[in-house]
Amino acid sequence: MKTLDAQASAAAGAADPGWLAARRQAALDYYDKLDMPSDREEVWRYVDLDFTFDDFALVEQPGEAHDIDTGIAAALPETAGWMRVVDGHATAVDAGDGRAVFGSLRALLADNSELFEPHVAQGTASDLNKFAAAHTAFAGDGAILVVPPGAAIEQPFFIDVQAATDGAVAFPLVTLVTGRSSQASVVIRYRSPDDVNALVVPNLELVVGANSQLKVTVVQNWGTNTTSISHLRAAVDRDASLHLGEAGLGAALSRLELQIDLEGNGSSANVVGAYFGDDTQTLDYRYTMHHQGLNTASDMFLKGAVQGESLSIFTGMIRIDEEAQKTNAFQTNRNLILSDGAAAQSVPNLEILANDVRCGHGSTMGPLDEEQRYYLMSRGLDEPRSNRLLVHGFFNEALERFPEPAIADVVTSWIDTKYRAAQEAGRV
Amino acid sequence: MSLALQVSGVRASFGDLEILKGVDIDVPFGEVHVLMGPNGSGKSTLCHVLMGKDEYDASGSALVGGTEVMGLPVDERARAGLFEAFQYPVEVPGVSLNDLLREMGEVRQDPGFDSRVESAAETLDMERFRERAVNGGLSGGEKKRSEMFQMAVAGPKVAILDEIDSGLDIDAVREVAHLVEELRSDDLGVLIITHYSRILRYMNPDKIHVMVEGEVVRTGGPEMASELEASGYVDIAGNEATVPKPAVTPFDI
Repeated sequence: MKTLDAQASAAAGAADPGWLAARRQAALDYYDKLDMPSDREEVWRYVDLDFTFDDFALVEQPGEAHDIDTGIAAALPETAGWMRVVDGHATAVDAGDGRAVFGSLRALLADNSELFEPHVAQGTASDLNKFAAAHTAFAGDGAILVVPPGAAIEQPFFIDVQAATDGAVAFPLVTLVTGRSSQASVVIRYRSPDDVNALVVPNLELVVGANSQLKVTVVQNWGTNTTSISHLRAAVDRDASLHLGEAGLGAALSRLELQIDLEGNGSSANVVGAYFGDDTQTLDYRYTMHHQGLNTASDMFLKGAVQGESLSIFTGMIRIDEEAQKTNAFQTNRNLILSDGAAAQSVPNLEILANDVRCGHGSTMGPLDEEQRYYLMSRGLDEPRSNRLLVHGFFNEALERFPEPAIADVVTSWIDTKYRAAQEAGRV
Repeated sequence: MSLALQVSGVRASFGDLEILKGVDIDVPFGEVHVLMGPNGSGKSTLCHVLMGKDEYDASGSALVGGTEVMGLPVDERARAGLFEAFQYPVEVPGVSLNDLLREMGEVRQDPGFDSRVESAAETLDMERFRERAVNGGLSGGEKKRSEMFQMAVAGPKVAILDEIDSGLDIDAVREVAHLVEELRSDDLGVLIITHYSRILRYMNPDKIHVMVEGEVVRTGGPEMASELEASGYVDIAGNEATVPKPAVTPFDI
């Protein structure tokens, strides 16, 4: 186990090509300079970080991969390739049939340095915050997918990201690049055993090439003692589309700070989320949709529920540059408060500099609807059963928009189980 | 003849407002009755009180096929054989009609349930609505048809159809009336609530009850329909002063 210092950064980057070594060194400087974020900063408001990096250490050997199969693997009977990343190290790879470059970033770097240079460690800026800096300073490995121009790959790629070692910090990096006019789908699952107290700082960088279509499904099901502070940065080129679905179920604290840049004219992003907190979980989402090109379109649609004493946060920013005329941008965030001790924050923001746009946002918060419950009970369903059906329906509106329907079905069954468990324990 | 529904001395108030002042209505099995009255007379309140909506203080007795339902939770009343077709069927986003039907089947544990679903779906031409959200984006007529479908599937002893003809054009009213006649059976008593007599042109009710100011003031045969159409509720009540003009109507009671 290694503490996070210059030596650890150098070890992680021992095989770096020059361009990556330079990015790593710059990030290490920011890591040393930056303080831990505080809830006095607007973008960290409502979140209390009760740990420091000193509480965790990097592992040189990944822990033993665990195989709690909760249905995701079964829902993907055929993949275009799959891999496993444990404690930040790629431990198993099936690279698929070679139609795309796919596998361990570390293993592929030496032979693909020029291919990776424009994309790897280029997403979330290292000076964004101490976690982003730490990521680039200490990340040693991860997954990379580069889909060549024109390739249309139907089956999804599957990336199984795990934390397995108690007390470990890990920085898995996932870089997904679609070439011009290509199509690909990627499913990323995060998980850890409940007794593993780990800190995971994943970075997702998506480079969506001109006229390409990328679907990404993220299933966050960390164990109850794992903390995850993740960043996602996407750049969407001309006439390209990104379809992103995130299901947030696990972790003690899970934060996803996301920025999608609709850089190219005619580019679009469809972002769907379903998150469900229980006990003392905190689920924290900070989304920015940045319209830069002409004729760009975005839709953010997130549904969250909280029960027990959990807390959820969604802040959604739509930023439309002066040049981004003819933009269509919408965001919707609906929240169910299922227990008196639970809370949700929902903060929609708009920053519009162009004058010819269509833009809208909606945010709601409240308990289950009494009229709907009365209606269902009048059909003979008892109250707990009516409530279960209403919770199911609430999330179904988001999950039916997910990129991979088979994954959405699994998430639906987890949500149903999670609510039912809270009913049986009297938390709702 | 045994009674599907026997309502005796039902009273209800909403806050300080007394809405039902002792209602008695009997509906035998095999019959279709109509409860009429002006807006504000308490018809819909009676419907909700019988179904068990908890916003009223209610008392009295209501036997469904001989089982007392007053005091029971809403779902137990439904399972005792009471069905309410809503005046304004509620949209339940994300829950498909099939999801709801599956749950209705599970709570009933009735071996004939699934076959009733299939046959009623065909008879009522509901197949295309089954994967859509309950009442989501349906027209007024489609919502009423969906209510009739759920009624046929639930197999109740008593069906109360609240303002079943409201918000419908004349073709849809005729269609709903025909559906009610089709669903008429010896195992079912139907109480239709309406304040228009027009639906009576297309069906053959056994009895008409007229409610004014929270009381049933008159009960008679189907011939009362034409009398009502000609002269309205004032003469039926026999006393102009009893026709209410409530100062406060927070909703259509």
